[in-house]
Amino acid sequence: MQSTKAHWWFVGPALFLMVVILLMPITIAGALSFTNYSLGNPGADFVGLDNYEKIFTRSTYEKMFGATFRYVFVVVPLSVGLGLGAALLINSTRRFGDLYKTIYFLPVMAALIAMAIVWEFAFHPTIGIVNSTLERGCGSFLETWHWYAKGCERGFPLWLTDRDYAIWTVAFIGIWQGFGFNMVLYLAGLTSVPRELYHAAEMDGAETAWDRFRLVTWPMLGPTTVFVVTISFIRSFQVFDTVEAFYPQGGGPSKSVYVMMFAIYEKAIQQNLMGIGAAITVVFLAFVMFLTLAQRWLVEKRVHYT
Amino acid sequence: MTAISLSGIEKSFGATSVLNGIDLDITDGEFLTLVGPSGCGKSTLLRILAGLEAPTSGTVAIGGIAVNDMRPARRNLAMVFQSYALYPHLSVAQNMMTPLKLRDLPLAGRLPVLGPLIARTRYRAIIEQVRDTAQILKIDHLLDRKPGQLSGGQRQRAALGRAMVRKPVAFLMDEPLSNLDASLRIHMRSELAELHRALKTTFIYVTHDQAEALTMSDRMAVMMDGQILQLGAPDEIYNDPRELRVAEFVGAPKINLLPGSVDKEGHARCLDLPLSRVTTDAPAGPVRIGLRPEHLSLCDKDVSESFSGQVVHKENLGADIYLHVAIMNASQRLVVRVSPVEGRTVSFGQTVHVSRERGQAMVFGNDGRRLDLSRSLAEDVAEVA
Repeated sequence: MQSTKAHWWFVGPALFLMVVILLMPITIAGALSFTNYSLGNPGADFVGLDNYEKIFTRSTYEKMFGATFRYVFVVVPLSVGLGLGAALLINSTRRFGDLYKTIYFLPVMAALIAMAIVWEFAFHPTIGIVNSTLERGCGSFLETWHWYAKGCERGFPLWLTDRDYAIWTVAFIGIWQGFGFNMVLYLAGLTSVPRELYHAAEMDGAETAWDRFRLVTWPMLGPTTVFVVTISFIRSFQVFDTVEAFYPQGGGPSKSVYVMMFAIYEKAIQQNLMGIGAAITVVFLAFVMFLTLAQRWLVEKRVHYT
Repeated sequence: MTAISLSGIEKSFGATSVLNGIDLDITDGEFLTLVGPSGCGKSTLLRILAGLEAPTSGTVAIGGIAVNDMRPARRNLAMVFQSYALYPHLSVAQNMMTPLKLRDLPLAGRLPVLGPLIARTRYRAIIEQVRDTAQILKIDHLLDRKPGQLSGGQRQRAALGRAMVRKPVAFLMDEPLSNLDASLRIHMRSELAELHRALKTTFIYVTHDQAEALTMSDRMAVMMDGQILQLGAPDEIYNDPRELRVAEFVGAPKINLLPGSVDKEGHARCLDLPLSRVTTDAPAGPVRIGLRPEHLSLCDKDVSESFSGQVVHKENLGADIYLHVAIMNASQRLVVRVSPVEGRTVSFGQTVHVSRERGQAMVFGNDGRRLDLSRSLAEDVAEVA
């Protein structure tokens, strides 16, 4: 058989683009993370693992991991759960389904940076709608709740500037913004569940909605769930715009909202410390990679049935 | 004893009416087939009986109790779906366990891991039941497989197993064989019939394949346009159809229909050949005469009362050969069944002569209704002709 070079022409373009726009930047970032390079400097010194040592020892970065993981592990389960719930509800209504879809999907379409300004107003301690609404509840039965009574007495929390509340408030906005996207994915997944399976479940004696959900809906949504969870993880690891909009001066009260993306931005762009920025990027990539692979290994095998 | 009775069932989707007043009594233990072309409402009727669809009006009664307002889960019927509808994430054993678990176990016993510990004895009984059923269906070696790893026939058995594992009042089957290949379908036909004899439970079987209906059922109901045209034993439906549409639907190849007429004395003529029997209850006028292919045969040229025409097509089925003969200047076509020995010598374009077996022609009036013929004047006819 005559050997030709045709195969290179087939895979060549894709390979070239992958190397240039994907592998090379990652390799460069990896290489930079072992140096103290700054933009504009003629050269850089090799510093070994210094940058990584800083990341895993300094308290700033400890706070960075704390904020990132808090955010991720609150936003992912809640936005996936709410997305599924909303999808099931919309799927079960005959009327206004499209209207609800649009409403819940609006936050996804809206630019988060613009929405952040609206939320900043809403959470404003004196003129914000959130705290003024809460104050109206004072004197009612709600005061039996200890936290609420305390709020009435000494004022409700400064949601965005109290270090005990800031990350949760940002996480709340992340959920609000993200669950519509998950809902749309779940709605698509629900349309592919064969109706006959529900009929079979009904004939088999699944009388309650919960039985049918357990027996048919949840297992059949398995592949969708894997995808939704993976996407949600990556998206919430990448949270940046809310933090930048609320705390342009660096990471919120006591750096409690100092998420990884913001840290990369602050170090590499604002402070021109390319080396440490690259090192955080590599750690970030490693996390996302690890989570994605773990998902595949643990779950993928069990959700594709054929 | 009547196991299931449907009375005055009507169903319409919006302005489209699908079922128009179906009355049907199903005896305990019988194998009843609902057969008809697609879109005739047979599946809808079955789903109304199952409770998956609500009738617009009419009553469904099981064992003498009206079940219109009862959930499908409570009607104690088992259904086999066309697509089998096995749960793809569960193994065959788990699929078969599902109806037992949902019915027999308390809520705690159904918990994923703790369940088998809490309700241990019941679990063991359930597994036993599943194994017994699997043995009957010869799928006990497949119990640990997922439906995706099974062939069509095996999936079919697993779906049957899931229906059989508890003791339902009746089995409802919605075209269960239509996804199988031809030889397996024929094999499963006899197996289903045997299964019915062994279980002695009521089977209600929906199909568009008249061969399945004829081979398996105790009684069959031919449905068209949302009505039951005729209900009876397969024999009766085939040999004595009361309607033109029934005669056309049942039997493969289709019955030959020739234009004919009835004169004032009630003598029916097919083309220009008189029939030996007369009708007593029909007005004079044009009629349609039905002749099944097996009641026609080749004959010599000089036999009286024969049709002659050219062979335009020859279907060889091995045991039988069907000749398509164009008669009356190619305006009509007759399908004739001949034996392979006879058929071998016949070639395309050849002129053949066809005679009919006496007393087998069916006469249908203009409205499609069957006209009864009597033999009483049989001898006179020759002279009239």
